[in-house]
Amino acid sequence: MPNQQSIPSSGQELPAGVRAILAHTGKSRTFLCEETIRNAVRHGVAGFELNVNLTSYRALPLSCIEGLILKVDGRDVDVSGAQLVLNGTAYPFADLASLSAVWWFILDPATLFVPSPSPLARGDHRVDATLITVEPYVTAGRFSFYHPASRTLAVESASD
Amino acid sequence: MTAKAGLKLGVSLHSFTSEYITYKWSLEDMLQLVSVLGGGVEIVGPSHQRGYPYLTNEFERIFKSSIERWGLTPTSYGTYADPFMLKERDLNDDEMVDYIVPQLKSAAQLGFTIARLQYFSYTVAERLLPWAEKLNLKMGYELHVPLMIKSEKTQTLIEQIERIDSPYLGLIPDTGIFAHSIPEFCLANLRAAGVSEELVQRAVVLWNARTPNHEALQELLKLGLRKENIGTVERLWGSFGQSEPEELKEILPRVIHMHGKFFSMKDGVEPNIRFEEVTKVLVENGYDGWMSSEYEGQGDVDTFELVREQQAMIRRFQQKYQPR
Repeated sequence: MPNQQSIPSSGQELPAGVRAILAHTGKSRTFLCEETIRNAVRHGVAGFELNVNLTSYRALPLSCIEGLILKVDGRDVDVSGAQLVLNGTAYPFADLASLSAVWWFILDPATLFVPSPSPLARGDHRVDATLITVEPYVTAGRFSFYHPASRTLAVESASD
Repeated sequence: MTAKAGLKLGVSLHSFTSEYITYKWSLEDMLQLVSVLGGGVEIVGPSHQRGYPYLTNEFERIFKSSIERWGLTPTSYGTYADPFMLKERDLNDDEMVDYIVPQLKSAAQLGFTIARLQYFSYTVAERLLPWAEKLNLKMGYELHVPLMIKSEKTQTLIEQIERIDSPYLGLIPDTGIFAHSIPEFCLANLRAAGVSEELVQRAVVLWNARTPNHEALQELLKLGLRKENIGTVERLWGSFGQSEPEELKEILPRVIHMHGKFFSMKDGVEPNIRFEEVTKVLVENGYDGWMSSEYEGQGDVDTFELVREQQAMIRRFQQKYQPR
């Protein structure tokens, strides 16, 4: 008979450590993290920021982030000046196409900064966002995957 | 590491993607789970290795610490060619070599003995081979849909492997190429994405008729498929193929590893993938290597239990067909 490591058959007691892991809980994950929106100023530019997840199962180079569509409270938001803040470094969305050596690791939420002339009011806001990405190896070639996400997110403090 | 002959079972951590990316299970948690799921561990470079494609001391320590603690065997490391990572053009051969070599080094340093190659790496395989020899790492092209065994692409790979004739270059069939039907949940996903019933049914007909991916997409787009749904439809052609398990026998001398891709379990059996015939071919023909369970079905299920059930099924078939 070939070598076979032990696999407990169904019903057999699993080690306590394994049972503890199986009891863990996670959190729901879409492009939009379930966290607050903050009014913010970055390098003298006013706007708001929110935390976002990469919408894949693996790390992607930033050159695979193709675009962003954003609505707040049903209104289209101009994202031409938006920045993705990854591990402390801000990357303008307009530059992502050329950043094939910068990796967005799958477990690292990033911050999305969006310039905005007026601060968001305190309270709940409906956010609809779509991240457009490329999975750089699918056999059909380079084409876009759309990852829509919607959440009601709160602004906890007024503009500072 | 004991090197007993025969079919050995392990897990690709890709099976636990849903739990991993929702922070339910950490890398260390998943490695501990593998200790009761056969003991062979396979990772996906860009999913599990922080710092990919380069190996940091920190990651090496984290990984090896769990490997030693739980007595695991690193089996295969999933490399990527990612030829479409640049917006303006495809990677050229030099760039692809520069991208893959650090992955091979990562794999070897982490203790893996096999590296999964994507078929895009074909054009640079001969430049990777000296690295594979130096690192004592066998490279295998993954035969993942649409690389069915008789497909033109696979035949080209086999010709290259036969010509080079090195123990460091072989094949890693993914059992997704041995499907006889599309799981119902995949069709439900299409409907949920807003694809009309007419298009869903047409997609099934095209798949059953073994229509190539490009042709099928073109027809469906003509019939009104919206571009934002291309990805969802592509998944059918990207996940399920119709090779005959008997064909596995012909390529078995070049098979260095197996991906036990599965999508669901029902009454102890995988309803859409021909595991019994595949296992039969493997054990009757003396396959000596690992099969990594690779769950790629719906999220929000008990993945651990599904993998246990799938491995119990394979073991059952293994015992049934094992020559005595």
